[in-house]
Amino acid sequence: MEHSHTARVSIGAKPRSRWSLTRKLVPYAYLSPTILLLIVLSLIPIATVFVYSLLDNVIITRNPPSFIGLGNYVEIFFDNHFRQALTNTLVFSGVSVLAHLLLGLSFALLLNSKLIGAVPKALFRVIYILPWVFTASIIAILWRLLLNPNGVVNFLLITLGLANDQIEWLSSRQLALPAVTFINIWSGYPFYMVSFLAGLQGISDDLYEAGKIDGANSGQLFRYITLPQLKPIIISLAMLDFIWTTHQFTLIWMTTGGGPTRTTEMLSTFTYKLAFSSNEFAQASATAMIILAISMFVAVFYVRNQRLAND
Amino acid sequence: MTKATTHSAGKGIATSLTVVGLVLGALFAGLPVLWLFAASFKSNTRIFAYPPQLIDDSFSLAAYSTVLTNPEQLRYFFNSYLVSILVTLFTLLVGILAGYSFSRYDFRFKNLLNLIIIGVQSVPPITLMIPYFGLIVTLGLYNSYWALILTYMVFTLPYAIIMMTGYFNTLPRELDEAVMIDGGSSFTILWRVLVPISLPGIVSVGVYTFMLAWNEFLFALTLTKTNDMRTVPIGIQLLMGQHSFEWNQMMAMSVLGSLPVLLLFLLFQRYFIAGMSAGSIKG
Amino acid sequence: MNKKLVGILLLVVALLVSGGNLMAQDDIVLEFSQWWEPELPAGEFRALMDEFEAQNPGIKVELISGPYSATRDLIVAGAATGTMSDVVGLDGAWVNDFVKQGSLASLTQLMSDAAFDDSELAAQIQLGGATYMIPVVNFVYPVFVNLDLLNAAGIETAPSTRSEFAAAAAALTNAENNVSGWVLPLSMEQPNGIQNDVMSWVWASGGSMLANGQPNLVGNADVISAVEFIKGMYDAGVIAPGAFSLREQDKVEEFTNGRVGMMISSLAHINLIRERNPELNFAISALPAADGYEGPRGLPYASWGIGVAQNSEHQAEAWKLVAFLMSAETNSRLSSIANAFPGNVKSTPDFVQTDELFAAAFDVFLNGYLANEFTGLPVAEQLMREFNEPFQLYLDGEMELEEFLTIAQEAWLGNFE
Repeated sequence: MEHSHTARVSIGAKPRSRWSLTRKLVPYAYLSPTILLLIVLSLIPIATVFVYSLLDNVIITRNPPSFIGLGNYVEIFFDNHFRQALTNTLVFSGVSVLAHLLLGLSFALLLNSKLIGAVPKALFRVIYILPWVFTASIIAILWRLLLNPNGVVNFLLITLGLANDQIEWLSSRQLALPAVTFINIWSGYPFYMVSFLAGLQGISDDLYEAGKIDGANSGQLFRYITLPQLKPIIISLAMLDFIWTTHQFTLIWMTTGGGPTRTTEMLSTFTYKLAFSSNEFAQASATAMIILAISMFVAVFYVRNQRLAND
Repeated sequence: MTKATTHSAGKGIATSLTVVGLVLGALFAGLPVLWLFAASFKSNTRIFAYPPQLIDDSFSLAAYSTVLTNPEQLRYFFNSYLVSILVTLFTLLVGILAGYSFSRYDFRFKNLLNLIIIGVQSVPPITLMIPYFGLIVTLGLYNSYWALILTYMVFTLPYAIIMMTGYFNTLPRELDEAVMIDGGSSFTILWRVLVPISLPGIVSVGVYTFMLAWNEFLFALTLTKTNDMRTVPIGIQLLMGQHSFEWNQMMAMSVLGSLPVLLLFLLFQRYFIAGMSAGSIKG
Repeated sequence: MNKKLVGILLLVVALLVSGGNLMAQDDIVLEFSQWWEPELPAGEFRALMDEFEAQNPGIKVELISGPYSATRDLIVAGAATGTMSDVVGLDGAWVNDFVKQGSLASLTQLMSDAAFDDSELAAQIQLGGATYMIPVVNFVYPVFVNLDLLNAAGIETAPSTRSEFAAAAAALTNAENNVSGWVLPLSMEQPNGIQNDVMSWVWASGGSMLANGQPNLVGNADVISAVEFIKGMYDAGVIAPGAFSLREQDKVEEFTNGRVGMMISSLAHINLIRERNPELNFAISALPAADGYEGPRGLPYASWGIGVAQNSEHQAEAWKLVAFLMSAETNSRLSSIANAFPGNVKSTPDFVQTDELFAAAFDVFLNGYLANEFTGLPVAEQLMREFNEPFQLYLDGEMELEEFLTIAQEAWLGNFE
């Protein structure tokens, strides 16, 4: 971090009258494809959804839409099911993100270890990204098989004497939420792992050598060198993953459908049911806007954090 | 006992702990997938047999031959590869340019743009589906590869930009200056210096982008219509019928889909270990 | 180097895109989106379409096949964006919503334009006096019984009353052999278990969940006795574990593996079970009625229905396709390959003559009447979900019967006008 700080000072100190106009335009030029794509394919549909959220009678109706202002928001806000979905989503996403971080970091450190030969390492790397290469519907199908009352997981638990009866993982109101969270953890950590692997490559060996000369043990090396170096990646990943996990739909829909009795109802399944099962597309749009607001709240923190890190 | 032996004994313990950790992790990651793999060789009924067996007498390659001899399903594979590769290339290209801009320049609206980039992926895709669908139809892209490629870029770009910005931020600005003093342009700095150094980061963003494009279902389903445009996740969903599922074929299709992806990863992982990292350059 | 690669790939894309658009412009192309083609033996449905094209020169049919689970959403999205296919496959549970959306054309109008005689149609799904969907083929849901398990439990014949059914379920249940008497799929993802496995008990005894077209659950003796009957079996532990996340496609695997003695299931499963477990010895019977009930039994069913898009530019041609599928001969063939019962009263599928089990099912079919009160109701799938939620709590003993029915009824009323 000190590096970039000094670098910034030196660039800032550069005389640059000739550069000034170019330097003003250059960043936008580099960003132009991004801006174009995001405005056309992102902001327009989002604006449409925002407009829907202020109307009544959209999409699945013959009646002309009517403007009802914040009516949909009020309705959603006082809907107990919405609040339950919100709570479930926060639990599901929070636990997932935390576990993703821990697993991803542990596996990356293990795979980065100098104590293991190159070939076994390569093999392990491939095994470790396995959960990542399957589409969400297949992951749902696979875990439904595994967690079936007559599935392998129960078979192993009973054989090992860890359980007496067949456990109804996905159909019990107590276990369904932990079960889908576990599945999401399993399917999501490789993304962190790969990013951390790349990040670990970027940490200079000199830093570790210097630390060792100062007499630091491996725990201290991790705490004072590895973690701070990975911090920007950790923050970005955690924020993005949180936002993505709140959108996780297929996995939940195809394992529990939000049941039993809404115990695994997430904002995503709640929104889907509003839009396509109840035909309340306007209310679904309002929910989407609320989710957007929550995500933006997280994003503002992130951007502020980035700015602090840069300055 | 000399110092050296203590050291190597400690190292031995550390090595065994690492191996144990690696094996446990591999079981966690691999066992469910092993089950998926085994199921692809079973008959549909035996997949549900209790007590479960990894391999049973229903072992057959029938599911694979069904998938591999069906030209429609082969087309799904082709489509998925084409779309995923193009999405990866374009995302990296656009993402690197944007990340460079965010990392190396200060400009007005920087924070706002940053927020927008994060914000655009904060709306649940389910609700975006219908307005998005309408937009794609209006643009005349419905049922084309471009519909999928551009759509996926909207989802992959934010991550690519954030990550590339992050990686570029870790690279010292003295590198830029050295090139500038030699008379190089900012473009030279980016492509000749920063990009080669950032290869590990680029590869991991590329892998992520590829996976996302490879596994996406909702938009692939909505924005395409004919069989010659469908991708593998839809092909898998088509095996989930109204009254019954073709379990073993779904599994076989997933295995076939994952093999080339794993191969790609195997090839590219040398970039993670290549030592072409920011750290070694710094030193 | 990278640019070259991109260039080549772009070229490939361009070629493929243009190749996909090279179509004969002279013919009228009817888009027909459905989920049936992947359900049928490969090539069979296309062959029927080829026949239609041969009979109707100048009309081509393009089959758009999607997964069943996504069909409804795709029609909604298609109608909203003006890309809906000319002819669409429909489920009875969706019709009301599409009519509200204005996406389906009135078939009554098309029939009279084409001077079509509708006397051969077994059923028409009507709303406000106009037909919007015609069931092409029907999948009846009788009770499947595992005969080996039944005989081992010392029972001779398949149950025909509720108390016989409960007794059989109890006798079949054998924890040591991991066998349950009955399987009840109550997944929230596919809530059609409410229609096929729960409400069907009401209909089989001549009951109704509606009164004057409005929800009638609270205080409805027919509904109360049916759910209490199911609750009794749930409490007795004779229902297979995992009920709250099971789907139709899972229950058939449980049955095929000999882990459940009885299930209510689609006729489509007869051949599937035979193919997947040729050893399994099973029979089919009508859904048991309440003890003492002598009237005709309502049979739960699901249909492959058909409708025409309101925004289709070729409605007359689209109707020709519908009429072709509903003609006695085509309908016989389609029901034969789908293992379903015909939507044309004059059609008889082959398997009724050649197959004992189907013959038995056909008897059940002829002696009862098709009953599915969810067909044509507003947001029918949502109604099933809204019933399912408190029902699961009721089964689990977390909620009293009265409260469960009140909650369900109030939720339903919110969807009726």
